[in-house]
Amino acid sequence: MRPLRIALTKGRLENKTIELLEAIGYDCSQVREKGRKLILPVPNGGFEVVLAKAADVITYVESGVCDLGVLGKDTIMEMGHSFYELLDLGFGRCKFALAAPRNRDFYAGYQTKVIATKYPNVARQFFEQKGMDVELVKIEGSVELAPILGLADGIVDIVETGTTLKENGLEVVEDVAPVSARLIVNIASLKLRKLAIETLIDRLECGIGHKNVEREINLTVETD
Amino acid sequence: MKIYDKITPEGTRDLLFEQCDARRGLERKLSGFFEQRGFQEVMTPGLEFYDVFYSNSNYFPQETMYKLTDGKGRLLVMRPDCTIPIARLAATKLSGLPKPIRLYYDQPVYRNNPAMKGRSDELLQMGVELIGAGSHKGDLEMLEMAVRCLQSCGLAQFRIEICSIGFFKALIQQLEAGDEEKEQIRELIESKNYAALNDFLDRFLPSKAAEALKKLPGLFGGNEVFQQAALLLDGEDFPRLLDELRYIYDGLAALGLGDQVMIDLGLVNQAEYYTGIIFRGYVEGIGEPVISGGRYDSLMGDFGEPQPATGFAVNVDLVAKALLQAGEMKTKKTDLLIFCEPGCEVKAFGELERLTSLGLKCEHAVFETLDEASAYARARKIGKIRFVGEETRDILTEGEMAR
Repeated sequence: MRPLRIALTKGRLENKTIELLEAIGYDCSQVREKGRKLILPVPNGGFEVVLAKAADVITYVESGVCDLGVLGKDTIMEMGHSFYELLDLGFGRCKFALAAPRNRDFYAGYQTKVIATKYPNVARQFFEQKGMDVELVKIEGSVELAPILGLADGIVDIVETGTTLKENGLEVVEDVAPVSARLIVNIASLKLRKLAIETLIDRLECGIGHKNVEREINLTVETD
Repeated sequence: MKIYDKITPEGTRDLLFEQCDARRGLERKLSGFFEQRGFQEVMTPGLEFYDVFYSNSNYFPQETMYKLTDGKGRLLVMRPDCTIPIARLAATKLSGLPKPIRLYYDQPVYRNNPAMKGRSDELLQMGVELIGAGSHKGDLEMLEMAVRCLQSCGLAQFRIEICSIGFFKALIQQLEAGDEEKEQIRELIESKNYAALNDFLDRFLPSKAAEALKKLPGLFGGNEVFQQAALLLDGEDFPRLLDELRYIYDGLAALGLGDQVMIDLGLVNQAEYYTGIIFRGYVEGIGEPVISGGRYDSLMGDFGEPQPATGFAVNVDLVAKALLQAGEMKTKKTDLLIFCEPGCEVKAFGELERLTSLGLKCEHAVFETLDEASAYARARKIGKIRFVGEETRDILTEGEMAR
């Protein structure tokens, strides 16, 4: 059987995950020094790592070519899913929020509001639950620009510290949902390779601090 | 601008050669197996009225169905499922037959899947329905047959997971929650989202049912699940549900399948549709279930003929894909190319007839010259040419590698 394969989202989540894996004793040197390679082995863990964009992590895990994946809850909420979402990894914390220009009552007025967002599904669901009709405009990046230029009345976007909003004259009107990094698992993989996957998850939980870290970790490769 | 005359629609594809062999081989194997076990084939139309799938009970989200209208403006769909039309068929035409009625099918179903996820909108399903059998024996038989299907396909590594939807249904009923909340809980259990499930259920505390629901997705594994579940689940229904599940598990273990069977009490897919034992089967290399089935005692009643029923469906396309990946398919190569001189055509056809009846795979050479025939034989890796003229002789194809 091929080794377990984990897809990590490139960038900050990749770095945080590597830190976590190293903290629990896995040798991620080949993941750090990848060069041109695309499939990166973790020799003392019996698994390999693949790096991809967040949306692609879902595609790879859903199809089963990767058994596990690490990505933000924001992408999961936007793309929907058929996989197991087993662990909140704790890092990458931020939130979805509705933001609008400061000192203006966003909800006032009869006209349909125009909302700019990089996450149309999340935005649509949020307003559907409120029973509010909105016009959604998809913006690929720097969504704060839309209300400043007068294209939108508000935005639904990821907010961390709130500094970007402040600097652009926007403020949070309402929180939509919390976001953090999650571990997802392909349905068939969990059933066919339960032992190996549960072992890895147990160790990750130790690393996150859910369990007592004093336990001695025996790094033998588990096979089903 | 003509661009659509050369490509197939999104979600569909042509199948060629070994892909067809893999599919047909499976169809032959499985239909042979079903027939030996006393099931009879039925075929339902590819086009059905929308109401069949979306009136009394909406088991099929309307977005997933391919819809069209007939000459009178009535809404039709392309069959998205086989069990529901067969229930329609059995309720209206077969109600007089002695029970249980054993039916099998081998039909494509059509679903409008989300774009660009690599899913096929047209998939071949084979399966069985056991209608009128309400007993545990019927459930066990369905599982035994599902396992035999997986074994007969020749795939080494597979798993069957079993559950009873009764656990979830009994617990969720005890909760004072609205329909939407119940659906959210079901989704969180289905995706084993432990963190979010715990948070969501906290609002119902204190409640034994809420505590048990929190644990439900984690109750998966082998034999040990029975003990864990017995400790956790309190109430009059649970001992019976556990016994039913145990009966199935023990039965399969006694058949030597203990290693391949898992229990997952968090298997709550299609909770509306199923009423009892449910199960899914997985094979190595395929990221989703290849077999799914269970008991659906309410469906026949929707069509006016209340009857308990159980069955399962096999996703033939996925299993065929697994077989091709595993290198299990070998198409038989052509043995001989029959070439004749002018005037010897009848003699050549005679040779063709004789050799094919002996079991050889022969091709008739349509070329005028032997050179052309030899070139073709080389290109197609046909090892021998039978030259039919005044005399008949064999010519070995040059450059032919030993097969």
